[in-house]
Amino acid sequence: MTIPKPMLEPLIAVRICTPTGVFHPGDTIRCEYQIDAVQPAEIQAIEVSVLWYTEGKGDEDLGVHYFERMTPSDSVDGDLRQLHCLQTLLPPSPLSYNGFLVKIRWCVRVRLFWGRGKQMHVDRGFQLTSRGR
Amino acid sequence: MSRVFRVWGKKRGHRRTGSPLLGTVGEILFSSVLFVLGLLSLTALILSQSMSAVPRFPPGFGFWVLILVLSSFVLLGGGGVVWTVLHASVTRERRSSLARRAASLDLRGSADSKEPDRVVYPSIPSDANLTNSPGVKLSYRLPVVQSPAWRLIFASVFGLIWNVSAAVLAFFALKSILGGQPEWFLVLFMVPFVAVGGWLVRDFVRQMLIHTGIGPTHVEISAHPLRPADTCQVCVSQGGHLTMRSLTLSLVCEEAATSQQGTDLRTEIKVVFERQLFRQTDFHIDPGLPFEHQCSVEIPAHAAHSFRSEHNAINWKLVVRGEVESWPPFERAFPVIVYPAHDDPEAHA
Repeated sequence: MTIPKPMLEPLIAVRICTPTGVFHPGDTIRCEYQIDAVQPAEIQAIEVSVLWYTEGKGDEDLGVHYFERMTPSDSVDGDLRQLHCLQTLLPPSPLSYNGFLVKIRWCVRVRLFWGRGKQMHVDRGFQLTSRGR
Repeated sequence: MSRVFRVWGKKRGHRRTGSPLLGTVGEILFSSVLFVLGLLSLTALILSQSMSAVPRFPPGFGFWVLILVLSSFVLLGGGGVVWTVLHASVTRERRSSLARRAASLDLRGSADSKEPDRVVYPSIPSDANLTNSPGVKLSYRLPVVQSPAWRLIFASVFGLIWNVSAAVLAFFALKSILGGQPEWFLVLFMVPFVAVGGWLVRDFVRQMLIHTGIGPTHVEISAHPLRPADTCQVCVSQGGHLTMRSLTLSLVCEEAATSQQGTDLRTEIKVVFERQLFRQTDFHIDPGLPFEHQCSVEIPAHAAHSFRSEHNAINWKLVVRGEVESWPPFERAFPVIVYPAHDDPEAHA
């Protein structure tokens, strides 16, 4: 009798520490993220970035404001599943924009490399708007 | 089976159909084959020339062309393998981060000091080219987006090539008719060909009239760059010897999105904001005495800032449109840069 292998994927939890999800240029964004449901030895790397990307009719463009890559060797016990925090000062532009052909979105992206060359990511969006709006 | 092996990929919202892994493997295979083929052929060619005691042929022009072509195979194939492997092993975020870090450093390893705004606002186009020409009435004379001369040169060169081809075809078609053995396919083919040629001549004449008959248009601005809720002065000047039906100046914001489908590059443009700043009807412009009008322009408080990335853009511009009696209408655009509404760049530098 063969027991089917459970198709479990790791969990990535990302939380932006603000009730509204709206930021202004020069604000500090604080974010917490944690990896779960995966063995520590299976985690190869974690990449976390604060970035903007475009949506709409055109091909997607992307600009990274903050980037960090962690491997098990960066951790004392080699376990990257612990709660991590990031904080960074947000730039003056580009501001979030919701146009007809072009949309500009901001997000915190946590990308996990696990198993044999598998990867997955979770985006947590937020808005970057001018103080006047 | 068709779900596993898709011949064509499709864009479905955020994702594309088809396996990225298969695509990468395909690209690596293609580049490797090109590299190996080029390398083997190049080696065989060089060996055949150098190893034989009596060379089969002296190395002439053809030999060097072959060397060049095969070397390009090796370079393109090898470069393709390296590029694909690097592209597949590094995420977009990491590549973008590396590119950003490299762009923010100059040769001395410090932040760019020539254009501090480029460091603070990397996604906003530089206004260096817009503020390097002082105005006569106001601070800056704005450059025109697209020089009409380029459009005229294109219309004349393309029209000339097309019409010479049409004339050659017409000669052979006429010759066949006069010779008593008419080539009806050629004659039928000639009809749309000559029609397009006629339209090109008309377009050339129209461009020529706009370029030579309608005088220069200048737009000057009192301050630049602009910010939402800013008000500044604009002076428009139109030269020539014209009887104008109307002349308008508008503030326009448009979005531009470029997408690639195969080898086809498509750009779609949509005007998302337009406000007429000034309009004058039924007046004359005399030679040597250009028409001038100064007015104020206010950038809307909730305006999006200018933006430019590889495939997407938000462009602001001042557009002058004119209707002239017995002339084709003309339109000339002058770009401006709108920065975000918040504080000074120095605050973030």
